[in-house]
Amino acid sequence: MNKSQACSRASLEEMSAWTMGTRSLDKRGSFFKLIDTIASEIGELKQEMVQTDVSLENGLEPTEAHSMVRHKDDGYSEEKDVKTCPRDSGYDSLSNRLSILDRLLHTHPIWLQLSLSEEEAAEVLQSQPPGIFLVRKSTKMQKKVLSLRLPYEFGAPLKEFAIKESTYTFSLEGSGISFADLFRLIAFYCISRDVLPFTLKLPYAISTAKTEAQLEELAQLGLNFWSSPADNKPPNPPPPHRPLSSDGVCPASRQLCLINGVHSIKTRTPSELECSQTNGALCFINPLFLKVHSQDLSGGLKRPCTRTPNANGTERPRSPPPRPPPPAINSLHTSPQLSRTETPVSMPETVNHNKHGNVALLGTKPTPIPPPRLKKQASFLEAEGGAKTLTSSRPCHGRERELELGTAGSPGGAPPADAPGDCTRAQPASSESRSPWHGGRQRLSDMSISTSSSDSLEFDRSMPLLSYEADTNSSLEDYEGESDQETMAPPIKSKKKRNSSFVLPKLVKSQLRKMSGVFSSFMTPEKRMVRRIAELSRDKCTYFGCLVQDYVSFLQENKECHVSSTDMLQTIRQFMTQVKNYLSQSSELDPPIESLIPEDQIDVVLEKAMHKCILKPLKGHVEAMLKDFHMADGSWKQLKENLQLVRQRNPQELGVFAPTPDFVDVEKIKVKFMTMQKMYSPEKKVMLLLRVCKLIYTVMESNSGRMYGADDFLPVLTYVIAQCDMLELDTEIEYMMELLDPSLLHGEGGYYLTSAYGALSLIKNFQEEQAARLLSSETRDTLRQWHKRRTTNRTIPSVDDFQNYLRVAFQEVNSGCTGKTLLVRPYVTTEDVCQLCAEKFKVGDPEEYSLFLFVDETWQQLAEDTYPQKIKAELHSRPQPHIFHFVYKRVKNDPYGIIFQNGEEDLTTS
Amino acid sequence: MMAIRELKVCLLGDTGVGKSSIVCRFVQDHFDHNISPTIGASFMTKTVPCGNELHKFLIWDTAGQERFHSLAPMYYRGSAAAVIVYDITKQDSFHTLKKWVKELKEHGPENIVMAIAGNKCDLSDIREVPLKDAKEYAESIGAIVVETSAKNAINIEELFQGISRKIPPLDPHENGNNGAMKLGKQTTQTSRRCC
Repeated sequence: MNKSQACSRASLEEMSAWTMGTRSLDKRGSFFKLIDTIASEIGELKQEMVQTDVSLENGLEPTEAHSMVRHKDDGYSEEKDVKTCPRDSGYDSLSNRLSILDRLLHTHPIWLQLSLSEEEAAEVLQSQPPGIFLVRKSTKMQKKVLSLRLPYEFGAPLKEFAIKESTYTFSLEGSGISFADLFRLIAFYCISRDVLPFTLKLPYAISTAKTEAQLEELAQLGLNFWSSPADNKPPNPPPPHRPLSSDGVCPASRQLCLINGVHSIKTRTPSELECSQTNGALCFINPLFLKVHSQDLSGGLKRPCTRTPNANGTERPRSPPPRPPPPAINSLHTSPQLSRTETPVSMPETVNHNKHGNVALLGTKPTPIPPPRLKKQASFLEAEGGAKTLTSSRPCHGRERELELGTAGSPGGAPPADAPGDCTRAQPASSESRSPWHGGRQRLSDMSISTSSSDSLEFDRSMPLLSYEADTNSSLEDYEGESDQETMAPPIKSKKKRNSSFVLPKLVKSQLRKMSGVFSSFMTPEKRMVRRIAELSRDKCTYFGCLVQDYVSFLQENKECHVSSTDMLQTIRQFMTQVKNYLSQSSELDPPIESLIPEDQIDVVLEKAMHKCILKPLKGHVEAMLKDFHMADGSWKQLKENLQLVRQRNPQELGVFAPTPDFVDVEKIKVKFMTMQKMYSPEKKVMLLLRVCKLIYTVMESNSGRMYGADDFLPVLTYVIAQCDMLELDTEIEYMMELLDPSLLHGEGGYYLTSAYGALSLIKNFQEEQAARLLSSETRDTLRQWHKRRTTNRTIPSVDDFQNYLRVAFQEVNSGCTGKTLLVRPYVTTEDVCQLCAEKFKVGDPEEYSLFLFVDETWQQLAEDTYPQKIKAELHSRPQPHIFHFVYKRVKNDPYGIIFQNGEEDLTTS
Repeated sequence: MMAIRELKVCLLGDTGVGKSSIVCRFVQDHFDHNISPTIGASFMTKTVPCGNELHKFLIWDTAGQERFHSLAPMYYRGSAAAVIVYDITKQDSFHTLKKWVKELKEHGPENIVMAIAGNKCDLSDIREVPLKDAKEYAESIGAIVVETSAKNAINIEELFQGISRKIPPLDPHENGNNGAMKLGKQTTQTSRRCC
């Protein structure tokens, strides 16, 4: 075995040399660097590999002596290897193909216990074998922590590892490796220990479950799982030394654990290498490192483990029925996935994956492999070939070896059919067929699918790159602002946007971005989440879906329900805020959003999701309504007339004393504004507004190096907006102002939005201003109201506050007050509520009664056509909490009723 | 890690007194290129440590011309602080400053921190506004006052440090983002301009 390993290594080396050679011949210059980097990386890693072997035996032994028994070739005392087990249990799933990640996703109600206290966690873990873990939120640290059960030898029963959440990633404190979400983090630590004393272990029942259904069943138990019989212990050895699937396996499997050992150690390398990075945390997906890195692993060590099943499959104590994977089958399993991407084998998997959990994955719609994309991918691949080949040549080898085809020795010895080149080619395709994120998962699942870690790792290798690429792609698109409309159909787009010569720079750029932490492929879990929420919003079986669908269709069908454009937009904004709030509290999201999105980003992600599931379907309607409102109230006409006036003035008359954009620039700006109109997301619109402003600044500064403040900028902006002559801008600005996430209003977007609004107000009131040099009081009022709303502390109403209930007190002259909570939907009028009250409070003469609002020590009788729920919502959204009551009582008792009617109208129309 | 607290600061004052120069000086000295710069000088940000917090100033410049005064409420709404700038060589600008103070008192956020900056102190030989006047006035309204020179980078840092110190510490019950942006009375705003 050693011999063959050595051989294969040799052949690998040769192979890579060979591929590098050929590659470099036809590769563009820019690739050389990449290749070089990778090559040197491989070299380094190889060296380290050797070291790790040593350190495995020396360095690690002290801490893990209790369980980690290293074996040379002779070895077989495998029973005790704690490390192997989680992994092996994964392997065990060969038959059912549930990856560790799948298992984690399905069973998060068991191990993800954010509300658990330290004591409770200790209690749960007490009875568990070492390696079992929980994730909870530590109130002390205000962070999520990984609570890990330690073996007795460690003294303490458990240890907590803080989980660090940066803007885009999750990582363990002290580790340099970060992950896009919690599941991936945990999955990784099930395989590699990194900063942990040993790898995590899944509870026996979870790691041995054969089907998703079984997992779901376990998950149903939630926290009770830990105390239920379902949490059965493995049949043979008792907890401390967890039985491994690989128990008593032959030498081959010893190698396996060795790999594990190596693996765990190796994974640290990148972080070490990368310590210089900003916060020390290396992006998990840094393709250069990880790939090569794992690649190396697989390359060097794959051999033995490949063998494991072949030789010992039947001997595995725990492996259920016979399922002895004979070499042939095994290779069937692995090789198609590896290289024969287009084969059906991989497709079903995609579909399969879609079914469970990750519906929201980026590529989840079982992308029928859009030809354009594929092509692009191919070229990308080619371009990237240098890197690819370098790495993939090894994988190929692995496979060959598996297939027992790989004649150790010359690279050329590879069977023509499976020539490295093919391998390279095929790989991307395979990854393509299952979308980048699948890639991510795939990799982990592969680890469990096949006994050969090499396959999986190697397979994995191609993934990150692709996913980056796809990601960058999409994020760029976002940036271009166009994906707004068609988030659903990126493939065609991407084809349009890139050609092969374009690809690498973008790829590299994407990596640089990642490094700088500005843009990262970690956008993806976010997208995933957004998509999932959007799906949920269409599912009327969920409360959330109901809420959203009902609201959307209500708005579309009831054009008269809003008295003004502002009223309409503010109601929508409020609805979004409330739904966001509901979502962050509800358990309808599965998995919980905290597990996918770092905490400080949750609101951002939810906001995006709201845009998608509420604004997207409503955009057309809202636009039409805005136009109607402005037509009706004359402001459209007013703007139109004044715009003409302003356009006739020269810049100086408008107070402009800086260079102004010329015709060409104005055209450019118009194009941006036109693009803006196509967006539904207020944030993306604002992004475009910022670009317009940036362009204006550029023109103003025109290399003078002078910095212009508002004194100069605002007049120019006004001038430019007038030059653009787009009446629609008015509604655009209104849309943004009212619908933008209030938390963004103090920032740059808010500033320029305010300026644009101000500029438009000036234009709209140009005549008046000329006359009185004063803005109409009306405008000032609007400004005031807007800012009042914008700058309020967002005291967030609780879910029931905005749900369909209304607490109404019934006041009788002599009998005092009784209260009832009534079901009152948002658009039920006061009239209807009165009727309801008459019924509920058994009032004989309902015409004598009316609904009053008691607030700020005053009584306001509500007009029949007002909406109590809206009034309530408005009250809730006020900056300072107001104490208020809805009271159903006799009209005559209240002399103030009439007096305050005006006040009440304000309330509902503002 | 220290919590970052965003503080909206608005800049008021006549046109030409050097509002944006002050901000440019403040933001661009020790400019950290890692921090994403803003697109222009009308809106700038800078983060400074203060106690165990980080204060991120979101600085909103306003257009000082008379015709834009009516837009000012949009800019100072929700501000935690206002920097009101006058030119020590122009008595008129000190006059305008007083009007701004009055408007802020009437319509501005309740607990807004006011800082008065007498800019262009490098030109003290043609000074029209005595420092004593400014100090007395500032004292009467409870505002910070410094004479600055954006040109020579005098007292710029001090101006903002002074503001930082006067920002009340965050109420732990409040949302970090908005704690400093709390608005007082919302109801009194009228449509009249102050001046």
